[in-house]
Amino acid sequence: MPSIIELKNVCKSFGDTEVLHNVDLSIEEGEVVVIIGPSGSGKSTLLRGINCLEMISSGELIVDGIRIPAEQGRIRQIRLEVGMVFQQFNLFPHMTALENVAFGPRKARNMAKAEAADIARNLLAKVGLAEFENKLPGQLSGGQQQRVAIARALAVNPKVLLFDEPTSALDPEMIGEVLDVMKSIAKDSGMTMVVVTHEMGFAAQVGNRLIFMDDGRIVEEGKPSEVMKNPQSERLKDFLGHVRHH
Amino acid sequence: MDFEFSVIVESLPALLAGAKLTWIITILGIVGGMIFGILAGLGRIAGTEALGEKPHGIFMSISVLIRYISSAYVETVRGTPIIVQAMFLYFAFPMLVKAVTDIERFRIEALTAAVITIIVNAGAYIAEIVRGSVVSVNKGLLEAGMSLGISRFQLIVHIIGPIAFRRMIPPLGNQFIISLKDTSLFIVIGVGELTRQGQEIMASNFRALEIWLAVAVIYLIMTTVLSMSLRHLERRMKIF
Ligand SMILES: Nc1ncnc2c1ncn2[C@@H]1O[C@H](COP(=O)(O)OP(=O)(O)OP(=O)(O)O)[C@@H](O)[C@H]1O
Ligand SMILES: [Mg+2]
Repeated sequence: MPSIIELKNVCKSFGDTEVLHNVDLSIEEGEVVVIIGPSGSGKSTLLRGINCLEMISSGELIVDGIRIPAEQGRIRQIRLEVGMVFQQFNLFPHMTALENVAFGPRKARNMAKAEAADIARNLLAKVGLAEFENKLPGQLSGGQQQRVAIARALAVNPKVLLFDEPTSALDPEMIGEVLDVMKSIAKDSGMTMVVVTHEMGFAAQVGNRLIFMDDGRIVEEGKPSEVMKNPQSERLKDFLGHVRHH
Repeated sequence: MDFEFSVIVESLPALLAGAKLTWIITILGIVGGMIFGILAGLGRIAGTEALGEKPHGIFMSISVLIRYISSAYVETVRGTPIIVQAMFLYFAFPMLVKAVTDIERFRIEALTAAVITIIVNAGAYIAEIVRGSVVSVNKGLLEAGMSLGISRFQLIVHIIGPIAFRRMIPPLGNQFIISLKDTSLFIVIGVGELTRQGQEIMASNFRALEIWLAVAVIYLIMTTVLSMSLRHLERRMKIF
């Protein structure tokens, strides 16, 4: 299988502080990679590096054949192929659910209005929100907003979806509906997914690989069930203990 | 004290002619001021994260230059009285033109000077309103837009613009009213706007009470129309 995402010796600094240290990572098409790790370990920075919301400081990033930093002018192309779902949903507050989802195809993919609306309706139906298409984000629950946000990311037809703690801002009773949507995407569409989450059930059920990050490094990785059963490092043992107890 | 209502009735045509001029200066001034304000407001944050990705290389240098020019404009206008700006434009600027070019008979009409003064003056204050609203747009929304793969232009037009504009309406209303009232200062360059009309009628009939009362009421009506239309706009746009 060819790699769709490759990080070679990637470092990222904010000012004088290096927060990612020499990260090597290769993700294959169709893979579902789950990233866990303590707060501040660099999970978000790694994820945001992949779609260039953060520019890597050194090393090389290759996404769908596009090389960063060599081809910095093609960042928009990377973003067309790599969608992102945020912890805080970040739906456009002045657009209805339908407009939010149709926006990407219409503006980023230059589709006709009717065609974009068709795509958006299909996706809203897929995430179980067909009857909410005319609602504004402010009129939706957190779980519903996040499902719209997932539909919005899918609408541009990317090859990869990045999720940064998609359920962390949700009330417990809404986490399930969002995870279900993510599971069905992973199973039905063969989408490449990179998911930062502390939902270990999700990791075990749909993850092909689990990555444990600490202090800006990938400390352990492997099949989710194995990594969870046999943590090698003290730090991961510690971390898993915490996740299980909360 | 005798209050003659007929004095007001008699002077009303002249006062309304003045009010019409005041209105024209104000409308042209705030329309132009919006254009200046949006350009200078965005100019002050060119190349910063408030407008999406930071540019690189030559584009960053250009952005910095634009930022300096915009800031110099805003600070100059905010730091000088509008009456001085009007005087400068009307009396001093033509002399400056004469001094540096060969154009002998360059002059600016009083009305033109008035409109330009409002445009330039309001533009600087509107620039600050634009900058403040744009900077206050949630960064997460910019990132959501960028992560869809849209261009910076699309990001500004479809995401930043509409969200920031809603926040601008109340302070803009404030500025429009200030600009309308500022037109009364153009009495000093001889524009026949409302205050000047009042002053002239007063000088011929000495009916201060009736005239200034009428002038005040007409100003109040005009500012009320302005603020009511902005409130209407705000209500229509306040859907989130
Ligand atoms: N824009 C920034 N400027 C400066 N430092 C930053 C910035 N973003 C992140 N950092 C720092 O980089 C480190 C890694 O942050 P990151 O957000 O990637 O961690 P994380 O693993 O996602 O944590 P969390 O679980 O809390 O989301 C932290 O020390 C953080 O303070
Ligand atoms: Mg994070």
